[in-house]
Amino acid sequence: MDKSHDVSRRRFFQLAGGIAGAGVLLSACKRSGPTDVYIGSGDTALLNYLYILEQVEAAFYTQAVTTNYYGITASELQLLTDVRDQEIAHREFLKTLLGTSAIPAINIAFKGVTFADRTSFLTNAAQLEDLVVSGMNGAAPLFTDTDYVTSVSKMVTVEARHSAYFRDVYSYNSFADSTVINSNGLDQNNTPSYVLGMAENNYILTRFDSRLLPN
Amino acid sequence: MNFRNILQEIEKTDPEVYERLSGRRHILKSFSSKVAVAALPIALGSLFKKAYGKTTATSAFITALNFALELEYLEYNFYHVCNNTGGLIPSTDLPGFQTIEAHELEHINFLTAAVTSLGGTPYTPKNYNTPVSNNPAYIPSGTYDFTAGGIYPTFTSYATFLVLAQTFEDTGVRAYKGQTPVFYGAATVLQQVLEIGCVEARHAAHVRLVRRMTGAAAPDYPAPWITNNIPPIVPLQANYLGEDNVTQQGVVITSLQDITGTIPEASATAAFDEPLDQPTVSTLVAPFFLP
Repeated sequence: MDKSHDVSRRRFFQLAGGIAGAGVLLSACKRSGPTDVYIGSGDTALLNYLYILEQVEAAFYTQAVTTNYYGITASELQLLTDVRDQEIAHREFLKTLLGTSAIPAINIAFKGVTFADRTSFLTNAAQLEDLVVSGMNGAAPLFTDTDYVTSVSKMVTVEARHSAYFRDVYSYNSFADSTVINSNGLDQNNTPSYVLGMAENNYILTRFDSRLLPN
Repeated sequence: MNFRNILQEIEKTDPEVYERLSGRRHILKSFSSKVAVAALPIALGSLFKKAYGKTTATSAFITALNFALELEYLEYNFYHVCNNTGGLIPSTDLPGFQTIEAHELEHINFLTAAVTSLGGTPYTPKNYNTPVSNNPAYIPSGTYDFTAGGIYPTFTSYATFLVLAQTFEDTGVRAYKGQTPVFYGAATVLQQVLEIGCVEARHAAHVRLVRRMTGAAAPDYPAPWITNNIPPIVPLQANYLGEDNVTQQGVVITSLQDITGTIPEASATAAFDEPLDQPTVSTLVAPFFLP
């Protein structure tokens, strides 16, 4: 067994036996391998989790701008480039907040996305944005330092704007349809472990040791 | 969720919390020894009740939720009236604005229930005539003036309607963001407030795209997001002041690396929606209320 892995295991049991809550105990059921990238605990884990999502988004739109979909208009290309640059701003902001705690750049592969195909790109873009919106809403209340909550609240509405835009381009007036908004008029939320799992399954080759990610 | 941290957070906003209770050491001791981890949320609920009763936190929640309610009523009635004004909104665009109207009504119902559950009195508009469901064309009167005293040809100009819709939505996003700190430490309500904010942001993005597609040009050449602090029309500049902020948690976004250089101001400002406080928002929407 890898030594660093051993250390993180020990830290985990120390924490789990101490003050950590039921969410940590549940996520202990998830298996973790020796090459997994440890994302930290507490606020650091949450920031790295958001940093992972922003790395995925920035890579997604960098690819999309490079191999843009057939039939894209000048206006659509401009807005697509805008979205790419906003996701890069989010990514670099989170990386700076994390400092030396930031995980390395991750390996990304967009399985099943045909960027040159309008429908494939737009539906996958909307799906990714909706996932990130739900992930940020789920993560915000878990932070200890409320300055991070403020920053997440400023970014999540921009992600919602992105989703609304791609939904509208794909199917006009679907910017906030009943697939994402419930009967109370609320957007979605999902736990960090759910969203990270979805992102790992769909977009990421790197595997993470996220057992201390608050949930 | 870390109990010790929750206490630290309460301590930040209410330094006297331990005097309200019976000392930090005692609380931690009693929690670690007697209370199972799984029972924590329930135990915390009763702890807050003990500390605050219906005084500090609850009344701050009620005030913030009632302020949100005031804005939702304004938006709902704006869309209700405009969606039922013949010849104003093209038929291809009407379904989108009907979706928005429905959401604003859902927000009214949700927030009203939330205020009631906290033991508060939900806000209702002054001189308000509730639209009746069996007559969708019924126009409520007595409360609002969506022309702001005749300044805006809201009911005869689609472009003007869109400008006001965009401004109400963008301002709504900012207003919710301004109220969010009230709910720090109250996970469920915080999350719900963020989720409503996201819906307002989706509305704003949609209205902005509609304006872009109808050829709206200077000063904003609208995109679905807010670039710098550019308003749709100059008289609405005040609603966008502060949106040109490029510093987040002490990080100057424009100093960070982009693909080819540093991140430009347009991206740095569009990537973050900025909060507005309650007095500012109240001043901004005041022209749309009848005296």
